[in-house]
Amino acid sequence: MAEFTLKEIKSLEYVRPEIEKGYTDHSLHVDLSSKEVKINAIEPKVKEKFIGGKGYDLWFMWNSVSGKTKWNDPENAICIASGPLGGTPGYPGGGKSIVTTISPLTGIPIDSNVGGYFGPYTKFSGFDVLQITGKSDAQIVVLIDGIDSKIKLYEAEGLTDDSYTLSAQLTDYFDKEKPVNISVVSTGSAAKHTELGCLNFTWFDAKRKRVRYKQAGRGGIGTVFAHKNIKAVVARWGSVSMKSNNPADFDAMKNVTKLHAGEINELDPKQNRMALVGTTHLVPIMNDHDCLPVNNFKYGQHPEAHNIGEAVYEHIFDKGFDGCWRGCAVACAHGVKDFVPFTGPYKGQKVFVDGPEYETVAGCGSNLGVFDPFFILEMNFYCDTYGLDTISIGTGIAFVMECFEMGLITKEHTGGMDLSFGNRLNALELLHQMVRGEGFGMIVGKGIRKMKAIFAKDFGADAAIMQDIGMESKGLEFSEYMTKESLAQQGGYGMALKGPQHDEAWLIFLDMVHNFMPTFENKAEALHWFPMFRTWFGLCGLCKLPWNDIVPEDNRQNPEPAKVVKHVGWYADFFSSITGRKVSPDDLIPMSEAVYNFQRLFNLKMGYGTREFDTLPYRAVGPVTVDEYLSRIERYDKDLTENYKVDITGMEIAQKVAVLRKHREARYEQLKDAVYKRRGWTSNGIPTVETVKRLGIDFPDVMELLKANGVE
Amino acid sequence: MITVDEKKMEWHQGITIRELLDMLENTQFCAAVRLNGKLVSSPSFDTTKIPDNAVIYILPLIAGG
Repeated sequence: MAEFTLKEIKSLEYVRPEIEKGYTDHSLHVDLSSKEVKINAIEPKVKEKFIGGKGYDLWFMWNSVSGKTKWNDPENAICIASGPLGGTPGYPGGGKSIVTTISPLTGIPIDSNVGGYFGPYTKFSGFDVLQITGKSDAQIVVLIDGIDSKIKLYEAEGLTDDSYTLSAQLTDYFDKEKPVNISVVSTGSAAKHTELGCLNFTWFDAKRKRVRYKQAGRGGIGTVFAHKNIKAVVARWGSVSMKSNNPADFDAMKNVTKLHAGEINELDPKQNRMALVGTTHLVPIMNDHDCLPVNNFKYGQHPEAHNIGEAVYEHIFDKGFDGCWRGCAVACAHGVKDFVPFTGPYKGQKVFVDGPEYETVAGCGSNLGVFDPFFILEMNFYCDTYGLDTISIGTGIAFVMECFEMGLITKEHTGGMDLSFGNRLNALELLHQMVRGEGFGMIVGKGIRKMKAIFAKDFGADAAIMQDIGMESKGLEFSEYMTKESLAQQGGYGMALKGPQHDEAWLIFLDMVHNFMPTFENKAEALHWFPMFRTWFGLCGLCKLPWNDIVPEDNRQNPEPAKVVKHVGWYADFFSSITGRKVSPDDLIPMSEAVYNFQRLFNLKMGYGTREFDTLPYRAVGPVTVDEYLSRIERYDKDLTENYKVDITGMEIAQKVAVLRKHREARYEQLKDAVYKRRGWTSNGIPTVETVKRLGIDFPDVMELLKANGVE
Repeated sequence: MITVDEKKMEWHQGITIRELLDMLENTQFCAAVRLNGKLVSSPSFDTTKIPDNAVIYILPLIAGG
């Protein structure tokens, strides 16, 4: 292991704010330019309105950046917060951190919900939210030491760029005796060469005696982290118990924890078996329903998909408890030990791989036309080690591969690499180029939106076809679900605040398979309720999986089974028991609505946040090419004749593609109208004055922003 | 005899998953089941025959990642 030095340049001793009902009511601010460290009290009105987690992150970012701030400006902030319920051992999914920053890909706030112990440890150390601004000349390590009540900044020399090794080194350095006391946030060396950098959040796996990882993947947060010259942020905290949050009603909290955990322990083995297979059960189900992205979202199915699903990974995953938070009954954070990469700096060495989850399997497997579970492991391993988002990498390389096969780019542009679908070695080589900062990988690392501009301007590629097949919206790459046959999910992606990530709404099956929401109004209602409720998890420091991936046995008797009403009730009880703020299930949606609309207004502040930015590439809506249409000709012919009453007699396929496109694109615009109306927005997608007043976010600068955008 | 969500049910030769679901209440949102531990998705419900002594779990509504 290489030697390194940490030179202490700042030390602040503080009186640790005690936790009261899930909150410390204090924020920690680190300015890397001035090396100033400040601790501030959080005002009660901020707590009431923004709840915690993502709400706090957005509020502190809003006050840090102007509408002109770019991702690489010093005032751009990285904010990390858990939430009032975060850090409850034993509550399923009860230990999440939410990270936000202005994204290099989108220019608007990105948020990412991640496991590992960092958020809870930071809270127990005294801070509901951490805000980092500025930019350091030297490489910096920030230590939040709740055990010794000190905040320290170190200049680092000689630390490795490899995120896995770095986290292990720092864990050992800061608490060799009790490594479980440490959680490290870091990125890898590809983050500084690309705009797709992720953050790795750690926890120490006591049984395996190794550091484990979860990723805040989306939107290039790792790139901002690297640009600020942060090597790592480390939280140190000691014992954690069910009393650590000092809940208002301990018995009620214990009771609801027992109920929810007990149900998961009983039902997960009968349902999705996530404690055994993680989210890989989704691979065969998506494939069977024509929703697994294959070859850049061109198709939704492949006969070899069974090679990369749960049946295979169940036997590859290392057996044992895999919760990314203490005592989480879902325990879905699986990994593979003694994997031996066949390329790159770890070629021939045994490594541990944290993952893969469904998104990585689909993005770095089927979407690249590869159905080799070990190749996916290697992509997973190097993305984590290099600090890259597996979703943007998968979707980005899939786009490149289709451009290559269409002749839009050639070996002349790729440095001689054949980037046809299925080319495993060259897909991996792109990652290695990103970490070395050289070659065509540097262009791929800019993300699809910038690739489209470069391919058109420098390589003469057809901009129109790239617009159709480049799977990005707002600048963010799509996560890994096919949406062509689900209008509601098209809305779920196209109108998602940060860009096309499925954590706002996942409505494909309700819409496409079950036809549960046949009207625009039905879809709009779903595109109100589900994004709001899913937002709530990010406010509180929770994971959404225990809500609806394991459900009560009698759930299907409920008239609205998708809402899993029994669990919503438990979440209201959980919130009430910790915070002492008595809420009913109906109160949870308005909590989220305020923060959700605030984030939409934040987009507006940054120059986006209107209708024109809620767009989709046509590949997400319907068949772009003739062969794509032909592959599902019965489906598309039926859509034209039955739904749009088009007489297709004698039509050429190309003509059918064009007519179908006209109808489907019009339908998406109609959906936008319905959703905006339901959300209380103008037809241009801006929250109305009435809406912001109703939600209590009519702050003076919000009202000025609305006025400046013609909303009065 | 088969076991469906831990309840015993009569079995007959040739019964498919679709026919089984049609006999049960509130299964309209079922997109996948586990049949003897293996996933079976809705496009195969009509053609997948249930063997005698099978153990079946009806999976929750598929909710995505």
